[in-house]
Amino acid sequence: MEQKPHEIFPKDPRKTYGLMEMVRGTTPMADTGVEDTVMSWPHLVVMEAIAILGVSLVMLVISMVANAPLREIANPDVTENPAKAPWYFLNLQELLLHMNPSLAGVIIPTIVIAALMAIPYLDRDPRDVGIWFASKKGRAICLWSALYTAIAVVALILFDEYVSMRKLISEPEVIPGWVIPLLVMGILMGVLRLGVQRWRPSKREVVLALFTGFVVAYVILTVVGTFFRGYGMHLVLPWELPPGSVPL
Amino acid sequence: MRTLNDLRRRLTENHIWTSVFRQGYPDTPIDQSLVMTNTLLLHLNPVKVKRHTLKITYTWGLGLMAFWLFAVLVGTGVLLMFFYVPSPERAYSDISSLETSVTTGMLLRNLHRWSAHAMVLMVFLHMCRVFYTGSYKPPREFNWVIGVLLFVLTLLLSFTGYLLPWDQLSFWAITVGTNIAGYAPLVGEQMRMFLLGSKEVGSEALIRFYALHIAVLPLALTILISVHFWRIRKDGGLSAPANETSRERASRADWVN
Repeated sequence: MEQKPHEIFPKDPRKTYGLMEMVRGTTPMADTGVEDTVMSWPHLVVMEAIAILGVSLVMLVISMVANAPLREIANPDVTENPAKAPWYFLNLQELLLHMNPSLAGVIIPTIVIAALMAIPYLDRDPRDVGIWFASKKGRAICLWSALYTAIAVVALILFDEYVSMRKLISEPEVIPGWVIPLLVMGILMGVLRLGVQRWRPSKREVVLALFTGFVVAYVILTVVGTFFRGYGMHLVLPWELPPGSVPL
Repeated sequence: MRTLNDLRRRLTENHIWTSVFRQGYPDTPIDQSLVMTNTLLLHLNPVKVKRHTLKITYTWGLGLMAFWLFAVLVGTGVLLMFFYVPSPERAYSDISSLETSVTTGMLLRNLHRWSAHAMVLMVFLHMCRVFYTGSYKPPREFNWVIGVLLFVLTLLLSFTGYLLPWDQLSFWAITVGTNIAGYAPLVGEQMRMFLLGSKEVGSEALIRFYALHIAVLPLALTILISVHFWRIRKDGGLSAPANETSRERASRADWVN
């Protein structure tokens, strides 16, 4: 069967073709390839080239105007105050201030990574694939979850700084280190789950709410750890930070 | 005009040129297909893409940008290796002389540093995009898992590189960071010891982080990226709303049963 380059569905001479039925409706696939496709060259390749050049240009400009930090030579005898991990680990360091280090530094991140990996095995309904936030309802749920989580996380950070859980109950360590943090996180997630109930969410929408909660908490903890923690990891405003305590 | 065409013909219609480029300039459908399958880098892409894939607001190009930043990091990283010795005696002075006495040394270091931060950010944003568009759903479950691993590897790559300038910032950041690993129940102390090769951050930690940073982790990342890209193709290209691909319609039928 000879195929001309521009022909998408060449006629096969071994088959017969005929009109079978008339159907009312539009023909969305008219004049397009299979599954509404276009040639990658040039459509995709051009966009990829633009993205690559754009990123290169932006990185070049940033690198010309801002210098990478280089402080004094490493000295184990001079402790930095505050001593901070790189910025993308400051979410964990922030958690460390509020609970037992094993819980904050290892157990929670391990559970988070495992939970992230489990997402596609929990939510398998393919109906809303390819649609941002799944639906209008999904968008409302995400917005609500984001606001709720932001307020809750900021309130908890402020509470622990100015009232301090450990001042209220310090003995035995298991209470402020494990019991209360686990209880608080459990209640927070429970309220989040109940809060979205009024939308009668599908499984996908519950996962949307929880993931949004994770993203917002993760970002807030990172930003607070990076820009709002000064001497002794106490809360300060960004312009009161001791010099060099933003670990970029 | 005639001489230009003449020149073009003389340049492209000979044995050497056609041994390198196996198709004409891609302005006909057949050459547009061949250029995609005949070129090493382009063949990562399919010959045809869904129109939906090309919408900027669908992907924002985040995955590609993360990948390109990784390429920039490999390039600048290899150049940096020419000027750097991973020992406590040399590391710091190598970095400061790179900044002052190597041509474009400062720019090179800046590019590597800022691209690393940008890559962490891009990978995270890419993960959010994939999540919020529901692109992890069957048949793409496993590729999402690989993506989560790639995010973790990206953080580890950035973290191991953070120690190498051997200044106060990096020293205490790695001290704090590895202390966090030391809090692991039961195996914490061993894990910290394994990472640092000693009780404190010192020359053993520097050489370990260096080896991880320039060889082990980039290799692991490259392998996983290859699988990640390969799976995208095997799973029918980028995700799109269900009514647009028959393969996804088919997988929906499985799912209902």
